[in-house]
Amino acid sequence: MIENFKINSNEIDKIKKISKEERDFRINNLNFFNEKGFPNKRQEDWKFSDLREIVQKNFKKLNVNKVNSKVKKVNLIKDFDHNYIEVINGELKSSNFKYEETNKIKIKNFKNENFLQESKGNPLICLNHALSDKGYHIEIEDNYKLKKALIIYNVFTEDLKENILNSRNKIKIGKNCELHTIELVINDSKYKFINNVYENIILENNAVYKNICIQNEKNDGYFHKFSKNKLSSKSKYSSFIFPSGSKFNKLDLEFNLEGEDSECTLQSASFLNKDDHQEIKTNMNHLAPSCKSYQKVKNVLSSYGKGVYQGKIYVKDIAQKTNAYQLSKALLLSDNSEFNSKPELEIYADDVKCSHGATSGNVDEDSIYYLMTRGLNRKESVKLLIDGFLSEVVDMIKSNSIKKFVRSKLQRQIHGY
Amino acid sequence: MLVIKNLKASINKKDILKGLNITIKPGELHAIMGPNGSGKSTLANVLSGKNGYEISGELKYQGESLKEIPIEERAQKGIFLAFQYPTEIPGVNTNNFLRTSLNKVRKAKGEKELDTLSFLKLLKEKSSELGIDEKMLSRQLNVGFSGGEKKKNEILQMKILDPNLTILDETDSGLDIDALKTIADGVNSSRDKKKSFLVITHYQRLLNYINPDFVHVLSNGKIIKSGCMELAEELEKKGYKKIN
Repeated sequence: MIENFKINSNEIDKIKKISKEERDFRINNLNFFNEKGFPNKRQEDWKFSDLREIVQKNFKKLNVNKVNSKVKKVNLIKDFDHNYIEVINGELKSSNFKYEETNKIKIKNFKNENFLQESKGNPLICLNHALSDKGYHIEIEDNYKLKKALIIYNVFTEDLKENILNSRNKIKIGKNCELHTIELVINDSKYKFINNVYENIILENNAVYKNICIQNEKNDGYFHKFSKNKLSSKSKYSSFIFPSGSKFNKLDLEFNLEGEDSECTLQSASFLNKDDHQEIKTNMNHLAPSCKSYQKVKNVLSSYGKGVYQGKIYVKDIAQKTNAYQLSKALLLSDNSEFNSKPELEIYADDVKCSHGATSGNVDEDSIYYLMTRGLNRKESVKLLIDGFLSEVVDMIKSNSIKKFVRSKLQRQIHGY
Repeated sequence: MLVIKNLKASINKKDILKGLNITIKPGELHAIMGPNGSGKSTLANVLSGKNGYEISGELKYQGESLKEIPIEERAQKGIFLAFQYPTEIPGVNTNNFLRTSLNKVRKAKGEKELDTLSFLKLLKEKSSELGIDEKMLSRQLNVGFSGGEKKKNEILQMKILDPNLTILDETDSGLDIDALKTIADGVNSSRDKKKSFLVITHYQRLLNYINPDFVHVLSNGKIIKSGCMELAEELEKKGYKKIN
């Protein structure tokens, strides 16, 4: 049991080459975290995911020291040609952009620039501000469209044990650029650990960013990611996330549609079972006129799986002609599974179209009957229905080879049901 | 093929079938007509094995009692039910579903599963017989299908699974003349001396195209009259109330 988990400020002194200003900033954030501790259900944003209780129950101690892991070679996928970077326990280890004009792409290790950002009172973000000293930083020069997708191999090594990792990533996509990324989480860990990520993605005018995140192997990791995304004028952001399999996973996603005519799409499909606990929280901030946003979150839950979706749409007074939509659908397969949905709309403009919907329920018995009369047994019928339910999201992926790859990942998981 | 003796079925303590007798021999096509609420759909559900019914009496298919046999095994043994209201299954591709279903049935029969190519060949052949647009088959199962498309899809499934006993539960309801003819052609081209059919319907219309060997009138859970095509014609003229 960890009661009153505190981190000593000498951990900050272990981080090399920092200015006094940065050190002060880190100390302030650390003090805030030490004062507040892990967030608990008394905080509105955490009411369905009491991380303090979860950490207390599952960790005897927590280790903030750096892990010096020996990494075996990452198995690159062969399903389609791609550029890649390898990220090990949050740290950028290698990159390969052999399909691209490399002078158009900057890739660096973690950098402290743009560091002094407010943390809005989330203790985990403060913790990240205080301790993060690794991550990747990618910049695409204006007017360059990448020819192949970039796969981010995000590897967690087997020697992680009660570690808490803090990393920070940034992707900046220049004007008129196009980048497609696939983040593939490869989890070799055997023990419990916490991964706390701060991500910052910037789309300049007319930029196109498509992202698919696949994290669905069973693991003992506890994940928290805060992602701050800026959409400039006429930029297009599309994200598919397929998260599941973790003991705890909270994705806190903030999208700021700052430029006119920008568009943001977020779609997710998860299969949560055997004590998985997952929350997707979004803040879709419409800050300029004529922007569009679309969110669709689908969850299948079974055997003590718990899912949460907190989706907020905010429309600023000047953001006229906003078109915002969100939908949450959950399929509950057992009585002990749980799904919580909290949609929120906060609208200050008068000429907008905003809508939301949420459904949750059991698998339709008539559908099972229909499939069984065609020779499938009950379990096969339910599997087919789950597959269909989640495939609706996968089917929206345009590239056939990527779609096939994602489908195989998802199906392997469903077959374990 | 099918022997039903003194079959009683109730659901939630409500008696629906109250001692039904019918025997269908290989190669025969029987039609069951009856007013709303007479138990026609219950009979279809009981034959396909739907859960929730209390059943007594004799229910034998190919000499074997069906009572303890689960839904999917009945399908694998060659019983096929074409639904009155086929269920929409979002996200499941019609094509893939048909192949999965066929291979389940083939496997149960001890036959080799069909690979994608041989299956597509079979599918193309059967769907063109029924005038089904191939595009329909790449859509989600029954989702957004028109009433006619749904019923044609049921008949297509029948053609592909090639069952011994087919039960058509008001497959003709809500169809226009052309679709009705397509359905009837589908049934007629499947008839042979080994296959049996039980056609449940409200109207004589479909029967004009498929020539039943026997026509039964189901009323209040029992067969109250049996005959041949003339009986259907009489019903059409006089209505159900006059038949007793």
